[in-house]
Amino acid sequence: MSAPLLQMDGIDKSFPGVRALHQARFDLRAGEVHALMGENGAGKSTLMKILSGIYQPDAGEIRLDNKPVQVPSPRAAQDLGIAIIHQELNLMPDLSAAENIFIGREPRKRLSFFTDDAKLNADAAAIFETMHLKLDPRTPVGTLSIAKQQMVEIAKALSFRSRVLVMDEPTAALNDAEIADLFAIIARLKAEGVGIVYISHKMDELKRIADRVTVMRDGEYVATVPMAETPVERIIAMMVGRALSDERPPAPEENGREPLLEVRALNRGAAIRDVSFAVRPGEILGFAGLMGAGRTEVARAIFGADPLDSGAILVRGKEIAIRRPQDAVRAGIGYLSEDRKHFGLATGMDVRDNVAMASLSRFTTPGGFLREGAMSETAKRYIAQLAIKTPSDRQEARLLSGGNQQKVVIAKWLLRDCEVLIFDEPTRGIDVGAKAEIYKLLNALAAEGRAIIVISSELPEVLRLSHRIAVMCEGRLTGVLPAGASQDEIMRLATQRGETSGDTRPSAAMGGRR
Amino acid sequence: MSSTTGTPAGTAAPGAAAKARFSGAQQRLLAFASLIVLVVGFSLASPNFLQTSNILAILQATSVNGVLAVAATLVIITGGIDLSVGTLMTFCAVIAGVVLTNWGMPLPVGILAALAAGAASGVCSGTIIAKLKVPPFIATLGMMLILKGLSLVISGTRPIYFNATPGYTDIAQGSLVGTLIPSVPLPNGVLILFLVALVAHIILRKTILGRFTFALGSNEEAVRLSGVNVDRWKIAVYTLAGGICGVAGLLISSRLNSAQPALGQGYELDAIAAVVIGGTSLSGGRGTIVGTLIGALIISVLTNGLRILSVAQEWQTVVTGSIIILAVYTDMLRRRKV
Amino acid sequence: MITRRNVLAALAAGTLLAATGGIALAQESGQKMYIPVISKGFQHQFWQAVKSGADKAAAEFGVEITFEGPDTESQVDRQIDMLAAALAKQPTAIGFAALDSQAAIPLLQQAKDANIPVIAFDSGVDSDIPVTTAATDNVAAAALAADKMAELIGGKGQIALVVHDQTSRTGVDRRDGFTNRITEKYPEIEIVSTQYGGGDQLQSTEITKSILQANPDLKGIFGANEGSAIGVVNGARELGRQIVIIGYDSGAQQKQAIKDGVMAGAITQNPVGIGYETVKAAVQAAKGESVPKTIDTGFFWYDKSNMDSPEIAAVLYD
Repeated sequence: MSAPLLQMDGIDKSFPGVRALHQARFDLRAGEVHALMGENGAGKSTLMKILSGIYQPDAGEIRLDNKPVQVPSPRAAQDLGIAIIHQELNLMPDLSAAENIFIGREPRKRLSFFTDDAKLNADAAAIFETMHLKLDPRTPVGTLSIAKQQMVEIAKALSFRSRVLVMDEPTAALNDAEIADLFAIIARLKAEGVGIVYISHKMDELKRIADRVTVMRDGEYVATVPMAETPVERIIAMMVGRALSDERPPAPEENGREPLLEVRALNRGAAIRDVSFAVRPGEILGFAGLMGAGRTEVARAIFGADPLDSGAILVRGKEIAIRRPQDAVRAGIGYLSEDRKHFGLATGMDVRDNVAMASLSRFTTPGGFLREGAMSETAKRYIAQLAIKTPSDRQEARLLSGGNQQKVVIAKWLLRDCEVLIFDEPTRGIDVGAKAEIYKLLNALAAEGRAIIVISSELPEVLRLSHRIAVMCEGRLTGVLPAGASQDEIMRLATQRGETSGDTRPSAAMGGRR
Repeated sequence: MSSTTGTPAGTAAPGAAAKARFSGAQQRLLAFASLIVLVVGFSLASPNFLQTSNILAILQATSVNGVLAVAATLVIITGGIDLSVGTLMTFCAVIAGVVLTNWGMPLPVGILAALAAGAASGVCSGTIIAKLKVPPFIATLGMMLILKGLSLVISGTRPIYFNATPGYTDIAQGSLVGTLIPSVPLPNGVLILFLVALVAHIILRKTILGRFTFALGSNEEAVRLSGVNVDRWKIAVYTLAGGICGVAGLLISSRLNSAQPALGQGYELDAIAAVVIGGTSLSGGRGTIVGTLIGALIISVLTNGLRILSVAQEWQTVVTGSIIILAVYTDMLRRRKV
Repeated sequence: MITRRNVLAALAAGTLLAATGGIALAQESGQKMYIPVISKGFQHQFWQAVKSGADKAAAEFGVEITFEGPDTESQVDRQIDMLAAALAKQPTAIGFAALDSQAAIPLLQQAKDANIPVIAFDSGVDSDIPVTTAATDNVAAAALAADKMAELIGGKGQIALVVHDQTSRTGVDRRDGFTNRITEKYPEIEIVSTQYGGGDQLQSTEITKSILQANPDLKGIFGANEGSAIGVVNGARELGRQIVIIGYDSGAQQKQAIKDGVMAGAITQNPVGIGYETVKAAVQAAKGESVPKTIDTGFFWYDKSNMDSPEIAAVLYD
């Protein structure tokens, strides 16, 4: 193995009231992919922000090529060849790929105010070449897929001749094919001696590409182990500080009760094509499929957030007209969006208000005044019931961790007595320990007789939770599988393009139990 | 369950929350302190400033802009903006003039007509914004011009005087407080401003309408996806704001004993300035009526004080502009911390 | 952070007060008579000319004055606030050009109760509180403009008016003075359009162009104040139309237009005289001397032929 390219030692960092890092350390060799793992708030991001010059450490040392260096600013990090690709991409959608890559460093014509666009595009094309990426540098970034945008970010990092590349959850928005492309590029970068810090929660990915993994917990260094030889369970145990019980998916509920929610022949442009299915009380129906298969679109359509071209929605066997979300809520359907911050929570408001949001009219006197006491009591009841970690019901929602925010949204729908709950990516951005809690909660909700729909891009999650698994591809429901289906079966249906047979679908969708 | 205890959100949260609330109060305190500093400073600089009559003049001068600013605050907290408050005020004044002077109706009818005109215009703005999805800036810009034109049309482009309605001038100029306590001849206009502010404060803090006002500004999409009839609440907020502009219309026309149809454009900017100085965020979700009241007072004290000091008019404008920027800058400093 | 912000705020407030206090102290030294003059406007050249007349009188009589006015002539309430602040300063006398007389009556009563003489100027105040009024007879002045227009277009044909305002006294008086004279004395002249441009040059330009487009046979336009008149000149120039243009007041652009022959001539008031007479009357009233009930500050017709004569040049302003 080569000598360490980068070493961080004894890093301390405190924010008012929090000790974010204590004696943290990390090292990176040239040409390796080094995974950095830990729950949300374990200190991974803080450590990487120190590396990239966004924060200054209180104590500790950073050595590059065995020489101590200071990183006083992001600019200094760039000059040292340290680049970071954040989870939220920082690109200007209206500028071209090349303009984004060289923003602030545009080649100029000699003594001229004008930029040299020809050179700009040629330089960008040269970088794309090294990445084996087929992309016209003049394409506006906003028209590219998320995956391609990420490639542009990587190209930008490479344009600084970066030797250390930090990638924060790079695959969060990518589909399998795109992930494969990304990994191919990572492999090439490795071969060229670039050291890559890879932050991710996805074990299966890490198994594929990481050489070593460093685990952090509560701002401290736990251990560094080789990825290949270490069992996943041990890494998780290191992350959460205890062993997680081996939670098996619950046995499918066999009950012959009428469906709580039934959907017949939904259509909405190309996004939803003739989708029919039913969910029974006590059942968790998983929705699997690739990105853009139409799962979220189906959920939003059922919920009335987007208009339908045709189709019927039945709750307890009665057809209801859903034109707006309020119609769905009145019928007892709740929707938990994958994007909590934009669609789920009023983050600037407190836990109490967010819990009561969908049921505020229940807490008003005839004069329109709010009964704060009753609201507070209710919020506190759910805080206890769902084990929401918050100092009080007056805490602003944005200050909670992802898992606790998700619980607040769940509390909102429970309070509204929703019998049908649609969870869209319920554990996105939530750490391993909290994930297990959310799973437990979903099982409990189903056991109470609610009908649950879970949309997830993580197959293990779908397999673990679902009593039945509906698979979509290109707006069509390509099949419904029983619990215990293999990943291969799901992937086959998820890639079954445009050949849905009319005979298998209805039986698969409606019959369900096999 | 120990899984999330170690997160910064878990540990940092209590401190951060306490700090957020603390500096929220701090900002209002700061605005209030600036007001006190201004009053003390002007008092030291000129013996004519801290006279009962001058203080009453300042309060009187605040009443119209204060009421408009309260209306603007409600809309701005929803994340919207209302550019029509000034000309709507004029429109309501003209309606009162038509009802009272031209039709000879009794005073209460005129008052109700003005308030109803304001509310009706609010319904229009709200509907255009909520149902037709026209951005608030554009919708209220349009309403601003429509109302300006209608005021001129309805009034026949002439001021309408209220000489035929005895008691009309008492709405703003009389003094209920003065008849009870003769040493404090507080004009009714000021009393009405405080009443409007109190009512708006209670609505914002204690009622479901207020809670949705904040929720809309905080995250409208989340509210919609909670199954709330967002359109209805939004229209309700604009309607309430419109009704409050009706109060402002009564105040200004009572003060001038006339409905001046050409007046009003430009007043929305003073109202918005008061809101902003008071610490309400133009991006919505955050704001207080108390802050707005202090903001409106700061503007009046500044204007009056500079006049009392005989500062040249050119420089008065420069100072006022600087204060607005300074006020918003300190607010930004506060927010950057959280 | 908190202390830094407080220091910042205190610093800003301190600087502000030091600056304003300094100005104030400089002005308040000495026990001169103090006369605030509240005008209808501030930014326009006309009001600046009134101010220069007032300043001239202040220097001559050894009194101290301030001169203020709202940004636009529709801001009646702003003017009332200015009057209230002026009263708070316990002045010797007040000069006041009311935007709306009725609105000001409570404050004028307050002035009367405090024995502060009020001098009305520019246009009258409908009240017997002011001891005198120093103003132009706008109706007569506009009638003179009508006579000149009739003379220059040969007593017949179509004409139009671009007026600054349909609510203010001067706007109404000039419009009516002009229109009434035409209808009474010149039956063969037809007023095809009367429009309002707020005294804004650009808006008046657009209005003029649309009037000219709509009336190809138009012979002349009367612009009822400085901004309107310049707008008319610009509009006619942009369309390349030769018409008789009569303006009102002066100002550098209008004077140039007359010199160039684009504008036939204009009515000038005597703004410098208005300001001068106002302050002079205030001083006299404060000393208990008698003043006439009205002071006619006069108006003149001026064109290329007489604008350089000393009598006219003295009342024109740039």
